[in-house]
Order: sequence, then C-alpha cells, then structure tokens
Amino acid sequence: MNNSDLKLIGFIMLVVTIMFGLLLVFKNSSSKNALVYYEDNLVLTIDLNLSGEHEYKVMGYNGEVIIKTKDSKIKVEEENSPLNICSKQGWIKNSYDVIVCLPNKIVIKIEDKEEIDTVVR
Amino acid sequence: MKKYFKIGLILLLVLIVCTVAYIFFDRKKEYTKNLYYMDTYIYIKIYETNKAKVEKVFKDINQMYKEYHELTDRYNHYDGITNLYDIYHNGFDSETLTLDSRLYEILEYAKDWSKKYYKLNIELGNIIDIWKKYRDNKEGIPTVKELQQNKNGAKLVLLGDNKIVNNHPNLDLGSIAKGYVTEKVGQYLESIGIKEYLINAGGNVKVGDSYNKEYYKIGIQSPVDNGELLTIAKGENISVVTSGGYERNYEYNGIIYHHIIDSDTLFPSNYMKGVTVITKDSALGDILSTSLFLMSVDDGQEFIKKYDAEAIWYTNDNKIIRSERFNNYE
Repeated sequence: MNNSDLKLIGFIMLVVTIMFGLLLVFKNSSSKNALVYYEDNLVLTIDLNLSGEHEYKVMGYNGEVIIKTKDSKIKVEEENSPLNICSKQGWIKNSYDVIVCLPNKIVIKIEDKEEIDTVVR
Repeated sequence: MKKYFKIGLILLLVLIVCTVAYIFFDRKKEYTKNLYYMDTYIYIKIYETNKAKVEKVFKDINQMYKEYHELTDRYNHYDGITNLYDIYHNGFDSETLTLDSRLYEILEYAKDWSKKYYKLNIELGNIIDIWKKYRDNKEGIPTVKELQQNKNGAKLVLLGDNKIVNNHPNLDLGSIAKGYVTEKVGQYLESIGIKEYLINAGGNVKVGDSYNKEYYKIGIQSPVDNGELLTIAKGENISVVTSGGYERNYEYNGIIYHHIIDSDTLFPSNYMKGVTVITKDSALGDILSTSLFLMSVDDGQEFIKKYDAEAIWYTNDNKIIRSERFNNYE
C-alpha cells in the first residue's frame, strides 16, 4: 500500500465521519412534537415549536377533545368526561409528561428525547 | 489499475463489515402498545426482531389484562365468569363458590398479606362504596356513624381447591390487582424470551433488561407539582410502584379526599402525600407501597427493612425521606 492509497482511505474516513456528525446534529435538532393517540392509534402530530397559540380538535370516545398549544406547552382545553381529570391537569412541557384522558381513550405525549424512559405517578 | 482494484477491495470490505455489523447489532426494533384496563392507561414497550411474534405477544398481553380486569371488577358482571361483583351480588343458594384459579390465587395472596399487615384489608368494599358514592356526587363526606354502621361486612373464607364460602363478602382488590397482573405480564414476556421490556400500568412500572443502554431511567413524579420529578430511579429488572392520594380524589371544604382507606379510621389515609417502592416483584411492590401509605413514615422506615425493597416518602410537610439504600438506585 503506497502513500496515495493511505491518503484516499484517510479522505474516505474523513467524509464518513463528517456525514455521521451531521446526521447526529440533525437528529438532535429535530423539532419538538406532541403525539396524540386515540386508543392505540396515532391520530395527530403537533409541532410544538410553532409560535403563538394554536387549537386542535380530535375525536375521543365521548366526543370532541379540544387541545391547545402555546410556547412549546400543550394542554387539553375541553373534553367530555365525568371528572374532567385531563382538562384539569393543565399545561405539560417535558418529554416525560403525559396527559391521559381515560374516558375518552386519548393520550398525549411529548416526543421522547430518550432522557427518561417512563414516569411512575 | 492495480491501485484502484486495491481501493475497491477495501471499500467492499468496509461495506461487508458494516452490513454484518448492522445485521447483528441493530436487529431489534422497539414496539409499543397502549391498553386501557382497570381504570388505567397501560403502556408497554418491547424490543424484538420478529414482527409476527410482536403481534401475538401484544394480543396475549391484551387478553391477560382484559381477563384479570374482568375477574377483579367489583362494579360489573360479565357472562361466563365469577368475579368480585358476583362474589358480593350472586343469588346462588349454594354454600360455596368455585372461582377461576387466577382470581383465587390473588385472593389467597392478598389474604396472606393481611396477616402480615392488618391494614392491608381487601374486605373494606362497603366502606369504599360509601366513599365512592360521595366522590361521584362531588359533594359532602360520609358521617362517622354511616361508616361505622357498615364496617362489619362478611369476611372472605378460603376453602382450598379454588372454593370460597358463599357469604357474599364485598371485596376490593384495588391495592393489588394492577401490580399483580403487571408482574404476571413481565413473567410471561420473560418466559417467551423477551427480556427487554418496559410496562407502565398507572403507578406500576416494571422493567426488564435495558436495550442499547446501561439501565432504564424511571422518573418518580412529585405528588404536589405535576411535571416535576422527585428523583429518577435507575435500574434493570426492577419494579417501581407509587401509592398516593393525588390521582383519584375529590375536594370538599378545602380538604382532599382520596381513594385509599385506613381501616382504623375508615377515612382516607393521611400519613403522607405519597410513597414509592422499588423492588423486584411488581405484585409485592404494589402491596408494599399501599401498606407504607397506610402507616406513619417512621413505622414505614422500620417496616421496609424486613423486605428486599427500598422506598422514598413525600411527607405532608413536603419533606423527602429515603430508605437506607434507596440511593443505590439514584
């Protein structure tokens, strides 16, 4: 193996390293999303990086569930259930937070950044 | 020409090594499932290679939670099974009832436990029903007299061979059932070779081996501030179970009344805001966390020493207290 071979191999390795680095950077800077599930199905993905207030509607078991977002936070504004536990919960913002509307079979999660696996409550 | 051949060969080699590495090191994928049983949102995550196997596994787990849900349901009757509702309400004139062996086993397990700690009592159904009536109406609280008059319900009598005396005891397995089934589901997963899993069944977390990292990180939520964590428990093959009065409750005259009843006072237990137990077995974890919630923090610190378990308490005056070796998990 002569000198130019080594240079080429070095060059290839450099390119691979840079691409890998770029991949990592892009993966980490990916936007913060909230995922809305009905039963076991993902029904809505909400971009939490949007500025200002936004309102979304999904159908739950007992009818419409109104979801609000503001400054990377999300909450359930209105839903129909006996105790209204999930609309009373208020804003969530962390990846490990979750809103559960049990009577409506709606779950809202903030996309995992893999920092914490789950939360016991 | 020879030079390019050499480089080509090196690139091919790199490609082969990468492919082999990819196949061997990144075969498992993460699969998740949401279930709703036992008045709880249940989240399951497993790591597997075989997609067909995953579908069967999730179907089986759904069936397990569904069947245990029906067996331990005290508010509804289901055709073809004898559950807690039927034990209390049945109109049979037979002297004994034969139960599904799974229900009998939980009852036996719970009854055994009430001998170790008397407040872990599954025979408080009458009292729980009274509190539930007030909670559903979101108004008022029962009088001491109303509670006292109803406290002496029928006792559960186990006869062996899945038989009990048909004396209509009003039973409640709320303190045990979720942890018990979650343990069974974990054992099932391990028995079919799925060692890497996470189950979160509302206050009951059970994890197996971790995948692609050192350990699982399980956040323990603060009982006072939604979204804040008391601490993060780190580990593999452990169960983390919380008992607290801050999830299922109602407020009357500025006082919060929750669902875990102290058999001495017949009122919701008021020793602390919450307690979380870490132990191997999720059924034991559920029982221990309920037991600790029903005794003073001081008594609990002594009590927990008898078990291979650690606990963290959140006191009424917002102090955090840890058992001796809790920090092994932090």
